[in-house]
Amino acid sequence: MRVGVLCSRVRIEEKWLFQAFEERGVEVERIDDEAIILGLPAQMDGYDGVLIRSLSHSRALYASRVLSACGIPVVNPPEVIATCGDKLLTTLALIQHGVPTPQVRVTFSPEAALSAIEEMGYPVVLKPLNGSWGRLQAKINDRDAAEALLEHKQTLGGYLHSIFYIQEYVQKPGRDIRSFVVGGETIAAIYRNSSHWITNTARGAQATNCPVTPEIDQVSRAAAEAVGGGVVAIDILESPDGRLLVSEVNHTPEFRNSVAPTGVDIPGRIADYVVEVITMKSER
Amino acid sequence: MEEKRIFQALVARGADFERLDEGHLALSFHRDGLGQRYGLIWSRVISHTRALYALSILNGWGLRTVNSYQTVLTCGDKVLTTGALVRHGIPTPRTTVAFDVETALAAMEEMGYPVVLKPAVGSWGRLLCRVNDRETAEAVLTHKAALGGPSHNVFYIQEYIPKPDRDIRVLVVGDEVVYAVYRRAEHWITNTARGAQTLPCPLTPAIADLSLAAARAVGGGILAVDLLEDADGRLLVSEVNHTPEFHGAMQAVDTDIAGKMADYVLEQFRIATTLSREEE
Repeated sequence: MRVGVLCSRVRIEEKWLFQAFEERGVEVERIDDEAIILGLPAQMDGYDGVLIRSLSHSRALYASRVLSACGIPVVNPPEVIATCGDKLLTTLALIQHGVPTPQVRVTFSPEAALSAIEEMGYPVVLKPLNGSWGRLQAKINDRDAAEALLEHKQTLGGYLHSIFYIQEYVQKPGRDIRSFVVGGETIAAIYRNSSHWITNTARGAQATNCPVTPEIDQVSRAAAEAVGGGVVAIDILESPDGRLLVSEVNHTPEFRNSVAPTGVDIPGRIADYVVEVITMKSER
Repeated sequence: MEEKRIFQALVARGADFERLDEGHLALSFHRDGLGQRYGLIWSRVISHTRALYALSILNGWGLRTVNSYQTVLTCGDKVLTTGALVRHGIPTPRTTVAFDVETALAAMEEMGYPVVLKPAVGSWGRLLCRVNDRETAEAVLTHKAALGGPSHNVFYIQEYIPKPDRDIRVLVVGDEVVYAVYRRAEHWITNTARGAQTLPCPLTPAIADLSLAAARAVGGGILAVDLLEDADGRLLVSEVNHTPEFHGAMQAVDTDIAGKMADYVLEQFRIATTLSREEE
């Protein structure tokens, strides 16, 4: 069996994944997304399956689309990447599947956004439809901030900054929960503890183990299923009334800070899942 | 609107003038036809960048302009304006400039909220932010940085002056303070372009002296000086505008504003042509 891993850079995660495949006797090859040439009509030989670890959402999405059109098993499949890479599509998928998620309003002009924000009440969170690591997410505490941020977003322009995605701010307890769902199973969860409202470990949040309670397991699996399964990380907010709300779902999760606190071999579980997907496909 | 009044004023004074569209000008760096043809060029170009470059070339030929390249350069950039004001001992809000997000954030924290973040270059109150807390500071700074380009990575941070619901705009033409008006708005940004109301303001000696000093500090000419009144009633100069609009003021004051400007420009023309005749 020969697996390709499409990456932009080889981070710790990718190193661990290569090791995990090798330990399983799977031949693994790095495919550089800077160098890949995708033929259309779709053709790609030499791989029994491809794991997408590209840092760029659009590269991940289009590579996944083309490879999957070649009949190659791809993790994640394009539908999952398309949904998770767009916060509006994620929210829609979650709501359609009855997964609890914070209130969201979407507008197409800064004026309508300001009205929506004033109506929702402060604070709110303004998020770009795509993007990772909490980049350009803004917590808006008052009208001055709303006006300033909306004008800057409008000036930033472009398709994604002209759609205003406004999310209710959930008063979370100095942490959120990130759970990892691989092939329909919640394999691990961490708390991301931070005094900052953006609780990304990439931005300094501390990861500690979070026991996978039946509630966390249930909401995590439901969220993963809503976006189409695969390998995903679910961001869960604990609301003051004790509800678990799914805020985002990530299609190319980082996990360097999650293996040690949880004791779960996350790269190994991902490698196992990729092998399983390839095997199932070849048996069909 | 303003330009129509200016043309009328020039016609009324029997001035020989032509309208030039900067979009149609090809400016050679070597003294060419324009320099022979005109004794002075009055710039009412809206784009700061176009005005600045055009004036640099015209002044480079030795052709007199209103305003001068130096004045437009200084007024068009808030960093340079503040620098000129401070050098001349003119009261202006405390200001700090930083070049990256982390440093700017630290500077804002040190100054204490609320602070105002302004683009160094820009008009009509565009992209002005009043920042009331650290979370807003982080969000606005990262968005500004994302705008990209060298100018948005200059963070001009100014103390917020809790002014009454108005500021004062004073027109200075040469050595004369022509009028003062209040710009009243419920919003803290008191630009008439953003709906502020223009009302007459008594031209006190304090207002007149400060405005004249500010205009001189930036190089003089036809200038609109923006003043803030702080809680103690002290006057602070916040900005100086090099191509003032005055349609709001026309409703509030009786003065023939365009006429005052035209008189000044024609006087400058006389000085310029006398000088060049003496040279010959």
